[in-house]
Amino acid sequence: MKSNPEKEETFVPFHLPFGPQHPASGHFYGSVKVDGEEVVELEPYPGYLHRGLEKLMEYRTHIQNSVLVDRICVLEPFSNEMGYVNVVEKIAGIEAPERAQSIRTIMAELGRILSHITWIAIVSLALGLDSGARIALGDREGILRLNEVATGGRIYPCYFIPGGVRRDLPEGFEEKTLEELDYLKSQLNLYDSLIFRNETFVTRMSGVGIFNAKEAIALGATGPNLRGCGVESDVRKDEPYAAYPRVNFRVMTMKEGDAYSRVLCRRGEIAESISILRQLLQDTPKGKFRIKMTTRTPKGNAYFCCEAARGELCFHMVSDGTDKPYRVKVRGPSFSHTLSEFPYLARGAQIADIPAIYWSLDPCPPDMDR
Amino acid sequence: MSEEIISSLKSEFADSILKVFLEDKKILVTVKKEGFYDVLSSLKGMGFDHLSDVTCIDYIKEQEFEIFYHLWAHKKKLRVSVKVRIPRDSSSIRSVTDLWTGAQIHERENHEMFGVNFPGNPDLSPLFLEDWEEIPPLRKDFDTRKFVRRKYYGEE
Amino acid sequence: MEKLRPKAMIKSIHEARAWSLWVVNYFNSCGFIELFPWLGSGYDMERFGIRVVGSPRHADVLIVAGYITQKAVKRVRRIYDQMPSPKYAMALGSCCMTGGMYWDSYSTVKRIDEYVPVDVWVLGCPPRPENVGHGLMMLMKKIKGGFQGH
Repeated sequence: MKSNPEKEETFVPFHLPFGPQHPASGHFYGSVKVDGEEVVELEPYPGYLHRGLEKLMEYRTHIQNSVLVDRICVLEPFSNEMGYVNVVEKIAGIEAPERAQSIRTIMAELGRILSHITWIAIVSLALGLDSGARIALGDREGILRLNEVATGGRIYPCYFIPGGVRRDLPEGFEEKTLEELDYLKSQLNLYDSLIFRNETFVTRMSGVGIFNAKEAIALGATGPNLRGCGVESDVRKDEPYAAYPRVNFRVMTMKEGDAYSRVLCRRGEIAESISILRQLLQDTPKGKFRIKMTTRTPKGNAYFCCEAARGELCFHMVSDGTDKPYRVKVRGPSFSHTLSEFPYLARGAQIADIPAIYWSLDPCPPDMDR
Repeated sequence: MSEEIISSLKSEFADSILKVFLEDKKILVTVKKEGFYDVLSSLKGMGFDHLSDVTCIDYIKEQEFEIFYHLWAHKKKLRVSVKVRIPRDSSSIRSVTDLWTGAQIHERENHEMFGVNFPGNPDLSPLFLEDWEEIPPLRKDFDTRKFVRRKYYGEE
Repeated sequence: MEKLRPKAMIKSIHEARAWSLWVVNYFNSCGFIELFPWLGSGYDMERFGIRVVGSPRHADVLIVAGYITQKAVKRVRRIYDQMPSPKYAMALGSCCMTGGMYWDSYSTVKRIDEYVPVDVWVLGCPPRPENVGHGLMMLMKKIKGGFQGH
């Protein structure tokens, strides 16, 4: 929309800063070039959270790294741990016992539900739907308490280690988790009426930030962002790991490729995670929960991908025969979402739609910057 | 399906490919620098449409960088990793942004962290660090503990 | 100006300031994650008069939560300068105080008090919600006791 259609004006770009101090941006700076109300270009400037984790991991042993790796993405620590321990076990050539694999899957799925509920809270805050935010933040407490009962830490559990898990699940954990799952299932109905079927929310999210499957794949999209375009791709089904071969679940896909379909994919994933957890808690195998691993790993290369709540999280580790890794490369899902997809989707949108597009992609700046 | 891909790669690029084999349901290919772009282009044609990652490893003793391209085919559900070695000083390798748009940002990060040049990439400006005056930080000759002790803790 | 007012008025000014602390919306790193329950219905800080506001010009408190990189510290200082007096700052998490877990990182700042004068320190990695609340109460007590801020 040109400001003065009668006069012939030369285009003078106006730069609007989106972040890093902004109620709807997270710790990320996007310089938005606007013409009236329309976005001409968005240039991302990441790096406000860069601590050089990959360099730090080269100075610490594998066990010490299991504490550092939690902090790659603060909102879903279990996915980071899952990827890390699997890649170390691949290099070392060992396999964790069945009970440990089940426990890992249980905690990972709880972490997925936690991440999606936090995302519900943040997206409601960013769009101005305050009550959804406050209720969702209160619901997180139930899962954080389960984390604390099982592992001792609310946010950073440091629970998975190469060879298994640190300690066994305590008595009564299964019953407490099943109670919590019943509560979350009933809360989903509340979220539906309050947020997902709220007329304002649906209008703000529909028809905004659309891309089709081909564009999404070329930009490097993974996870719910790609499933919102109709591509059925989920690492838990394509390259199964941990206890996923034993459970049945659907891969949520939607056709339209706009912000609202991505939102619905995540909402469906919460329900699927609840069903996976119920299947796993029914028959957890008995046995050892940890096997010993040698401090030194043999020389080699290993690459492992796991499905985090945001998409594909990949670890590439190179070992040179000592007890410290030679090189670790972490590919966080938000790297492509924020730096490739977000500038592409923001082009041509209205300024007021930028938070809606940004949070429908569910970015997590720590795992982009590392 | 993996065997067909391996045999077709071996026959088509016999002089560029040094090694190709299947390990744990994943195809691993080692190529020479001269032919790597054609191999990647041919793999893209075979359906490997998702570029997961571009990793760089610094082998300082051998004075070489090793660059990995990890690819995934959505329809075939197969994974391929292609690795290529380039010399460490004046390191430069052709960009693959025209094959996968998402590669632009991976190469920009590797340029900043290792100093590898990717001619053909539209934008190689610094990504994470601001006013960085030392050598690229992920190189093996940059000792982060020595740097931090000197700069922040005032030790020598 | 404080000297011209009667004692009771000064005391009520301090009480008013303590019971209406507005926090600027700048949550940088993982140290803030246990401030989230205070925003929600779990712990609820609004009953103490603490709100999160969008603009630094409206705010009283800057909470520096978690590690700060060299790139971000210039922005933190700029936000702090834009806040009107009296203003207070709180350091949340071990990483901004001593370097913490990233003591050997080439891009994080090890001591935030070289850039911003800190009034309350809350340890932890991340500090529990109870610790964060204790820190907020300590700040309120300090202000009620006559702390003028910066």
